[in-house]
Amino acid sequence: MTPLREAIEGCSVLVTVGAGGVGKTTIAAALGLRAAMEGKGSLVCTIDPARRLANALGLSELGNAEARISESTLAAAGLAARAPMHAMMLDMKRTWDELIERRAPPDKRERILNNRFYVALSTALAGSQEYIAMEKLCELRLHRDYPLVVLDTPPTAHAVDFLDAPNRILDFLDNEAAKWLLTPALAAGKFGLKLFNLGGSYIAKTISRFTGTETLQQLAEFMLSLSTMNEGFRERAHETRALLEADTTGFVLVTSALPERLDEAVTFHTMLVQNKMRVVAVVVNRTHAPVPAEAWAACARLPAGALRTKLEQTLKENEHLAKVDALGVQRLAAGCPGTPLVQVPRFELDVHDLSSLWATSNYLWG
Amino acid sequence: MVISGDRRVNLRRLVIRELAHRRLVVVTGKGGVGKTTVAAALALASARSGQRTLVCEVSGKERIAPLLGRAEVGTEVTSLEQNLWAVNVRPQEALREYALMTLKFESIYSAVFENRLVRYFLRFIPSLQELVLLGKILFHAKETRPDGSPRFDKIVVDAPATGHAISFLSVPQVLLDTVPPGALATDARWMRDLLTDPATTGAVLVSLPEELPVNETLELHAALRTKVKVTPALIVLNGFVEERFSAEDLAALPEPVHATAKGHAARAELSAQCRLKLEAIGTPLVTLPRLFTSPLDRAACEALGRAFLAGKAP
Repeated sequence: MTPLREAIEGCSVLVTVGAGGVGKTTIAAALGLRAAMEGKGSLVCTIDPARRLANALGLSELGNAEARISESTLAAAGLAARAPMHAMMLDMKRTWDELIERRAPPDKRERILNNRFYVALSTALAGSQEYIAMEKLCELRLHRDYPLVVLDTPPTAHAVDFLDAPNRILDFLDNEAAKWLLTPALAAGKFGLKLFNLGGSYIAKTISRFTGTETLQQLAEFMLSLSTMNEGFRERAHETRALLEADTTGFVLVTSALPERLDEAVTFHTMLVQNKMRVVAVVVNRTHAPVPAEAWAACARLPAGALRTKLEQTLKENEHLAKVDALGVQRLAAGCPGTPLVQVPRFELDVHDLSSLWATSNYLWG
Repeated sequence: MVISGDRRVNLRRLVIRELAHRRLVVVTGKGGVGKTTVAAALALASARSGQRTLVCEVSGKERIAPLLGRAEVGTEVTSLEQNLWAVNVRPQEALREYALMTLKFESIYSAVFENRLVRYFLRFIPSLQELVLLGKILFHAKETRPDGSPRFDKIVVDAPATGHAISFLSVPQVLLDTVPPGALATDARWMRDLLTDPATTGAVLVSLPEELPVNETLELHAALRTKVKVTPALIVLNGFVEERFSAEDLAALPEPVHATAKGHAARAELSAQCRLKLEAIGTPLVTLPRLFTSPLDRAACEALGRAFLAGKAP
């Protein structure tokens, strides 16, 4: 049995990770589609800020709620799924609001939701996406009953943050310094620069020259309001970590065989393994097959001339692409010991509809 | 709208002028479309045309200097060759420089910014990293030489991929909406003003002739114009496949080479379709040919740089 077939059948969470532009979203969607076709209901969730998944699934738009890919859409591509397939795109702001509404004490809710730092945190500021994606993954796992959730992640740099997100929350909450910082102000029952008086007004003054005094006060207030939710965050961070390390969670590392992507892929693999995550397969996407000998022979039989020259050039280019890929696959195999490699060939045209997703899934399924 | 070959060449010259008069050129696009290569090629072309050019990377691992056949330059602005400098901007060092600029004294920096409580707070101001990265780049855009002339005529930024580029470039505005008046807000304001000034800053959107990258470029273009308010100056359609086989060629070829030629023709057709779709948004567009060089190296960047300058395929 191929590793991905085993993973689709055995796992309840699959996370696709990798650099940008390697086709992660396509692979995520193909895994979800395959699961549904084989009778295992699936949800494909993308946290990528660019709206790629809707595009690949032929939906005009994906929202924060899970949408079922309709039977007629599937039928139009000649597919009949034995179980339902769903897709969604994570809406950061909505998910944050839901989190606050669920977890914050009623008297603090308004104060948090209206704090300017909260508004920025939940809408536009870079980096908070990862926190909220973890939250969503947990929620989907605990409160929904999809047999398989396929989670698509943002490109490398941020995917590292993504794995690190629950740790960072825990680190922040568990750290003595943070507690020391917050407790006196809580005890004093008011917010503001008192917080920093701990370390001497020297520090407070210097920092406020950098950020502005009011900024510190507002940030302090925001952190204090959030601190009432600490216990909840802590529990959730533990749950998330446990979920990512679970036997039923598998990581699918997607890469292309191009030299400029290889190092990133190997680094990523090493990091996942170090973090005790189970990498079920490395998918080498869009590889080029070697030029068959018959093609060269047929080319040699053509009369000399412009057409033959053009054909030779094309065959040489194809040969070059195939060689680069073969070399890349070798280096990946050496760099990711113990993890099976699955190759998906480049299709003549882009994969952007259900039938090509289905064709892709054939290579994953084996 | 169909643009003839001649007009395309003219358009290309116009484009060079468009980019030449802007101080700040931000190169972005979907992951894997060749942003770094295009940034390196643009910087090289700009330096060759006589402009003092600085190329900045922000994504961690340094790629441009090695791509141009040089040793990594690290976080100090380093000369690569005549008229060309490079720097790898990293958050930790940028924060230090930025803080020193505000605080003036190293000793205060150490006492304050290396305090672990303070580190916790700074880490929790979510976009501080992006702000200091951007701050350092924009600082170089404003730097002058002793005679008062700008230190660099041109700054080429190899920016993060689409979604993150939008967050990255929005940081000054987001901070303005977030933080009350103070040093941070003042800095955020001048950064925002510099980025949104169409005479100073232009974005180069790099794309590939495939469906998903093209759609993403259209989205990025709209977001830059309406949300981030950074002017899209140029679209670079990288990896463009020119038509090679005519219908007669295809008819004359037996299998299995017929399939080879047909594959090429399909890619060329897709390239042409993608170009039409991107041309329709009205921002000047140049195509760069697909290169069969591996790994990409200085020669490849030079070839692309010449393509920018001359309006000819290398």
